[in-house]
Amino acid sequence: MTIFEDRFPLGPEATASVLSEALARGGDFAELYFEYRLHSSVLMEEDIIKETSESVGLGLGVRVWAGDRTGYGHTNDLSPERMRQAARSAAAVALADRPSVSVSDFAPAVPLAGIAREIRPAGSADVTEKIDIVRRSYEACLAADPAIKKARVGWGDLVQHVAIVNSEGLIISDVRPMIKLTCVAIAEKGTAREYGFSGSGGRVGLEHFDDAYPPERIGREAAEEAVRLLEAGDAPAGEMPVILAPGHAGVLIHEAVGHLLEADFHRKKTSIFWNKMGARVGSELVTIYDDPTIPASRGSYGMDDEGTIPRPTLLIDKGVVAGLLTDRLSAKILGRPLTGHGRRQDYTEIPIPRMANTYIAAGPHDPGEILASVKKGFYAERFTGGQVEDSGKFTFSVSSGFLIENGRRTRPVKQATLIGTNVDILNRICMAGNDLAFGQQTGTCGKDGQDVPVNDGCPTLKISSMTVGGRT
Amino acid sequence: MSVSRPIGELKTLAEAFVRFGLSCGADEVEVGVGDDVEFGVDVRLGEIENLVEAGTRSLGLRVIRDGKTAYAGSSDLSPETIERLIRNAVRRAELASRDECAGLPETSPSLLDSRELDLFDPAIVDLDPQTKITWARETERIALDDKRIVNSHGASCDTHVGHAVLANSKGFLGEYRKTYAGLNVSLQAGDTDDLVEDFWFSSKVHLSDLASPEEIARTAVARTVRHLKPRKIRTQRVPVIFDPLMTSSLLGFLCGCLTGTAVYQKSTFLADRLGQRIGTEALTIIDDGLLPRRLGSSPFDAEGVPSRRTVVVENGILKTFLCNTYAGRKIGLPSTGNADGGGVGPSNFYLQPGSTSPAAILRSTEKGLYLVRTLGHGLNPVSGDISRGAFGLWIENGEPAYPVSEITISGNLGEILQSVEMIGDDLVFDGSVCGPTIKVAEMQIAGLS
Repeated sequence: MTIFEDRFPLGPEATASVLSEALARGGDFAELYFEYRLHSSVLMEEDIIKETSESVGLGLGVRVWAGDRTGYGHTNDLSPERMRQAARSAAAVALADRPSVSVSDFAPAVPLAGIAREIRPAGSADVTEKIDIVRRSYEACLAADPAIKKARVGWGDLVQHVAIVNSEGLIISDVRPMIKLTCVAIAEKGTAREYGFSGSGGRVGLEHFDDAYPPERIGREAAEEAVRLLEAGDAPAGEMPVILAPGHAGVLIHEAVGHLLEADFHRKKTSIFWNKMGARVGSELVTIYDDPTIPASRGSYGMDDEGTIPRPTLLIDKGVVAGLLTDRLSAKILGRPLTGHGRRQDYTEIPIPRMANTYIAAGPHDPGEILASVKKGFYAERFTGGQVEDSGKFTFSVSSGFLIENGRRTRPVKQATLIGTNVDILNRICMAGNDLAFGQQTGTCGKDGQDVPVNDGCPTLKISSMTVGGRT
Repeated sequence: MSVSRPIGELKTLAEAFVRFGLSCGADEVEVGVGDDVEFGVDVRLGEIENLVEAGTRSLGLRVIRDGKTAYAGSSDLSPETIERLIRNAVRRAELASRDECAGLPETSPSLLDSRELDLFDPAIVDLDPQTKITWARETERIALDDKRIVNSHGASCDTHVGHAVLANSKGFLGEYRKTYAGLNVSLQAGDTDDLVEDFWFSSKVHLSDLASPEEIARTAVARTVRHLKPRKIRTQRVPVIFDPLMTSSLLGFLCGCLTGTAVYQKSTFLADRLGQRIGTEALTIIDDGLLPRRLGSSPFDAEGVPSRRTVVVENGILKTFLCNTYAGRKIGLPSTGNADGGGVGPSNFYLQPGSTSPAAILRSTEKGLYLVRTLGHGLNPVSGDISRGAFGLWIENGEPAYPVSEITISGNLGEILQSVEMIGDDLVFDGSVCGPTIKVAEMQIAGLS
């Protein structure tokens, strides 16, 4: 009998022997992370299905703790000899200065069910079905407007099998599917050239593109953005009121708040928030959650990459810091509860606290009322991403937006970076819409060189004043 | 950890899979195998935080049948897995469209002896873990000895020993080994509510070229404390001096805009500018894969085309685009030996240094921004538009007056290239894309109203 499914044909004895090897030099805790991933992709450009690809990733990461030190070894060769070698590498951090803990009896656990919502799993679908979806999106993009000169549509699907065993006796495994369809459109007018982007996906099956999000819509949305940008002027430069469109603008919350409440920055005391638990850092309108359990969402999972069952976590409660996103190490050091936010890019990486689906809760205001309240300002509509440093300084990049004049959206404008310091901005959130929406299920967050899929959400938000980095 | 495998084994493996691909019906097959042994230690506040040791193998392959391409990759190198992937790829190629430009490069007659590039340093292979731990500790300790530094994100020392093999059905068989060593530290200064941060690093192919812990620590401290007590400045247009790291970042953006792939995709503002003036007379930009002991060097690229020196921009004139074989065929240019994975990437891509010292560039500036760090994305290759968060020093009468933060800087890469006024003499190769200090005539700053 094998401990896991067929992907990791490893008996309990073999597993226990690798764990024992990992603890041989006096560690406090050891963990094995087995991963098997199958990725498939299709690329269409220049009117042809240009290429398809398939890749397999297989490996084991062994982690050992000795006090606050982490030793890590990994291998993509699952022969007993190589696994033990990875365990010895991880054990080296322990330096034999204390007695080892012993491996507890294994108690199998199960991840949350129902996170992935798939009727027709992409992993077992024929590649011709994927090619058809790509082609439909591509053709809709080119047909959307005569100004569209080029389109590029990419499909990717992933099935990740993860199994985790640790010295506390945990055994747990999960299968995580993911789909992503993206379209880039290039529009030309005279010598001017612009691009638009759209995409969709998540932990869903191919049926997602039947009715929830037809591929044609993704093609058209990319085309519309590119064409709109051709007509767009330069964004303004300076301080002004800013309205954030619902949905994608959640990236502001991800940068301005989420990262700074990841618990590793608290145990290291590098986050501006490290000493602010229970303190007011924003207006009453600011209530923020991270919820890894939202069904079908890109940022969700039924267990984190340490085998912890995740739970929705309140981060900011009506402007007051209320919680942290923890992994095992930071929870242990800080004495905080495990929230199930220990994530890793793959088996070669040490897990660290990460966001999943971060959102600011809906507020009381009608979106029309919010717009009407601004005499002159900037409406941020579409975003390409953001970045933050521990001091709380953050930016996020707007690919397209509008000027607001006398309570109405007027001239379209392009390319501006918004910059601020998180506490300043959270205090300046002066209106929050009743229209909470989530982003388009294509987001990826990078931290310490590790990329993980995430999603963000927010309602229409008004920031009373913020620096807009346009060109005029 | 000794996970070095017999070198011949990888070559034999790659050749066997090429033959297997042909036997499955592929017209052309390319197999690349990589073997990397890594060691990394992160030290924070004097204690080891993470210690990573590993050996990784990976394989990538491309098959072409009837002008149709399929790719596959695996970190599981068992013959059953690879042979299944090859059979799948040959079958999947049928589903792609016929593409006249697809296919392997023609074999090249002579290949450089990789030893001439001096990319392999046995001293890195032999360096014991304890020394690496000591260097990381030492770097951080020297930095923390400065009382202005209040916290540390940690110091790291990393080494890699890589071995790359490439074989294809046109008879190419090449391999090289390459080493890497890096040492860095990242610091914080100021109060919790007014923190500033910065870092410094050294990354080299040879251990003897690596900067000392002392040098890295001192530079990191100086770079961090100069941000203390920043001011926000008002919205205005001023000259901007780019710190070498900022020039490198700008060149990285430019490099992406100069690939043949971006040209045929029309996703670069420079697509129609071949042979034209795109920058000032002083701008000469080179991609050189043959510089000995440099991080971006290699004897051949990811599809076996010999590396070479390519003058991309000469005295402001756009001379060529960087191409792999496919992009070259699409736009009617030769491959420049820049294949990287399935795309195009730089080897050593650098701006030729000028003769002015960075100090003289500062002295020439009556009023302006010395740009030290940016935050965020805000780079649009299609239009060349740039908009990013910025940190730097305000320059008055040729000298730094005070640090500035929470501003944005925006402009257009095309306009920036046309308005580079001065180029420094301080080029250092600490990455594959590098540039010296430069001064740009004017950019838009957004800050206080």
